[in-house]
Amino acid sequence: MFLFRVFPDNISTYGQEIDDLFWLIFLFASIAFVISVFLLLYPLYKYHHKKAPKAQYITGEKKTHFKWVTIAVVLLALSDFAIMFAEHGTWAKIEQDPVTADLQIAVTGRQWNWIFTYPGKDGKLYTADDVMIDDQNSELHVPVNKNIVFDLKSRDVVHSFFLKNVRLKQDAIPGRTLKRWFNCTKEGKYEIVCSEICGVLHSQMRNWLVVDSQENFDNYLNSLYTNNKPKQ
Amino acid sequence: MEPSTSTHAHHPPQSFLSKYVFSSDHKVVGIQYTLTGLAMAAVGGFLAYVFRYNLAYPGSPIPLFGELSAQQYNEFVTCHGLIMVLWVAMPVIISGLGNLLIPIQIGTDDMAFPTLNMMSYWVFLLSCIILLASFFVPGGSAAGGWTMYPPLSANAYHNTNPDFWTALFSGNSLVIIALALEFVSMLMGGINFIVTTINKRAPGMTPMRVPVVVWMLNIASVMFMFAVGPVFAGAVLLLLDNVIGTGFYDPARGGDPILFEHLFWFFGHPEVYVLLLPSLGVIAEIISVFSRKPIFAYKTIIYLSLVSAVLSVMVWAHHQFVSGIDPRMATFFSVGTIIISIPFAGIFLSYMATLWGGSIRFTVPMLWAIGFIGVFLIGGLTGLFLGSNTFDIYVHGTYFVIAHFHYTLFPIVFLGFFAAFYFWFPKFTGKTLNVTLGKLHFWLTFFSFNGTFFVLFFNGLAGQHRRINDYTLFPSIMQEPYITFQKVATISAIILILSQFIFLFNFIYSLIKGKKAVNNPWNSSTLEWQTDSPPPHGNFHTYPVVYHGAYDYSMPEMKEVDFVPQNLPLEKKTI
Repeated sequence: MFLFRVFPDNISTYGQEIDDLFWLIFLFASIAFVISVFLLLYPLYKYHHKKAPKAQYITGEKKTHFKWVTIAVVLLALSDFAIMFAEHGTWAKIEQDPVTADLQIAVTGRQWNWIFTYPGKDGKLYTADDVMIDDQNSELHVPVNKNIVFDLKSRDVVHSFFLKNVRLKQDAIPGRTLKRWFNCTKEGKYEIVCSEICGVLHSQMRNWLVVDSQENFDNYLNSLYTNNKPKQ
Repeated sequence: MEPSTSTHAHHPPQSFLSKYVFSSDHKVVGIQYTLTGLAMAAVGGFLAYVFRYNLAYPGSPIPLFGELSAQQYNEFVTCHGLIMVLWVAMPVIISGLGNLLIPIQIGTDDMAFPTLNMMSYWVFLLSCIILLASFFVPGGSAAGGWTMYPPLSANAYHNTNPDFWTALFSGNSLVIIALALEFVSMLMGGINFIVTTINKRAPGMTPMRVPVVVWMLNIASVMFMFAVGPVFAGAVLLLLDNVIGTGFYDPARGGDPILFEHLFWFFGHPEVYVLLLPSLGVIAEIISVFSRKPIFAYKTIIYLSLVSAVLSVMVWAHHQFVSGIDPRMATFFSVGTIIISIPFAGIFLSYMATLWGGSIRFTVPMLWAIGFIGVFLIGGLTGLFLGSNTFDIYVHGTYFVIAHFHYTLFPIVFLGFFAAFYFWFPKFTGKTLNVTLGKLHFWLTFFSFNGTFFVLFFNGLAGQHRRINDYTLFPSIMQEPYITFQKVATISAIILILSQFIFLFNFIYSLIKGKKAVNNPWNSSTLEWQTDSPPPHGNFHTYPVVYHGAYDYSMPEMKEVDFVPQNLPLEKKTI
């Protein structure tokens, strides 16, 4: 369609549904656009005062006149509801329906990087042996094809946790803990950004999402356990 | 009450000061608002130029400015947004048009409360001065984004300025104070508009004979009054958080940052429609006159505007789909947002239907009106993507949003204003504008605006997030074609700003050297065209009496001319 790719690589189980939704809305919007531009430009040509020196007296108050507008509006309303119908399942999947967590972690925003907390050897979050990574440029390692459920928090101001390739975005609000999830289908290294202005170094707030095979991930976690002191 | 036939119940002001500066004449107040708004637009435009240049050529010094630090970048994007919405759009579209048009179009001599009207302008000017002063205090102006989400704009800020006086005179507090004063000024203007329209209409000017633009300005004023209370309260709480360190938005002390988001957007979203409706009203006047046809479905347009006004206060949380509000609530707001497209589609289709069967004259105001519809169409349709809560998860806070709202607000504020400017300039100045310069101004503005913002849709779809002064850390953005798109946007934006000098030249040149305008250059039937150009103090030599609607063009019985002024009976339709 275009000379370049519209979206960055999709690596999540639900990302494709969001991309498809874009193309569905794009289809409706394009049809509406083409029809509207025609309705706008054609009369400018056809009823130019040189061709049509006298205008017709149409008030539009009669039903026979207004029916054309009604038909167009009804068509628009139908496409509106088609969009709502198409999207509600995806919304529920991403935001509402509970998933079984293969790995539970915590992500905390601070000025100006993301903090990642993994459960310790007991496999449980919020216990004494949790491992916390708090560095600019640090990496969030996750295993491929696993449901990652995370608690999103903020220490200071509003941040927004944005994984472009996963198609997931969620504001991190101080004082609240929000639970979201994702499941990556492709190994690789991807950007994690903050998409809500959070102070002077907002532009430098960037970490990495690294999707590993299960084996590499286990090795990574073990190296964390041996290298990092547990959280106090 | 029977009005006296002469409008010169009191003497017109004599001295220069009372005539042009401290005047309570609605026309002078309207012109003061418009010129102040345009001066603020120059400030907002300059800020935009600086950070757009920085985005295309990060790190290099900016001509006419110099180096831009990250802090200044944040300040500039923040103040550009605030200035353009609240200190340009509001005075130009609401106060400027409302003051100039409402009394004269309903056939009266002035506002219901002329002194209050004058005061509203001076409070507004004070708020402009306080806002501009915020750039020059230590630490600079507000830098937390134009939405001013706490705690960044509140406690986080207060912690660095714990002293009361330092905090009070910090840029952040000054901006909030300026904002509050601006709301006060707009409230004084709004109450005037509504009371004037209800009480001071000329005999025979029934509600369904009032021009669309007057209806729209009144609906917008009611919406504004309905929505402004919460944000005013929100701003006061934010100021307290800033200055004396209260914790209304601080979760550690029982506050909640989301509260501010709700208070802000409960106003912030209707605000878009507050601006859209008067602009749509202007377009209705122009399209009807230059198609020589009645505006299609006048009554339905009014009813649809009322419907959209009611809907517009029920959709605000679509700005907060990813804020952590309850997901089930998001679905409700998504449905509401997408449904609001229905009344507006009805209005826009009625405008297009007005063109069908007309006798279209391509004057300069008509070009701007057609351009308005075309550009706003893209803004409206891209709203479908953002209204869908699911797709918004991905594009929220990206350049897609930037492109979308510039495609809505730019036509509303600038294309709408310029349409009105080229249409009513002869009336309120008595001079004629240069047509060639007007057309050149339109085409340059139209193409450079599209060049600036159309490419940014693609940057947004690539996931480019907002308010970043330097994207070097983000390899997904630092690649082609997105780097080129940033440059295209910047160069187009510079052309867009430069083309406004054509307007400025045409404005000043025509004011001095322009041909004298006739009273009714466009053969329009509304009342403002039936008096002198410029109208005398008191607008009319004798109070007009209205006999029919505002848009009776090209009735079959009309022989020599195709319109009858509203103050002449329809039986005289053959004159």
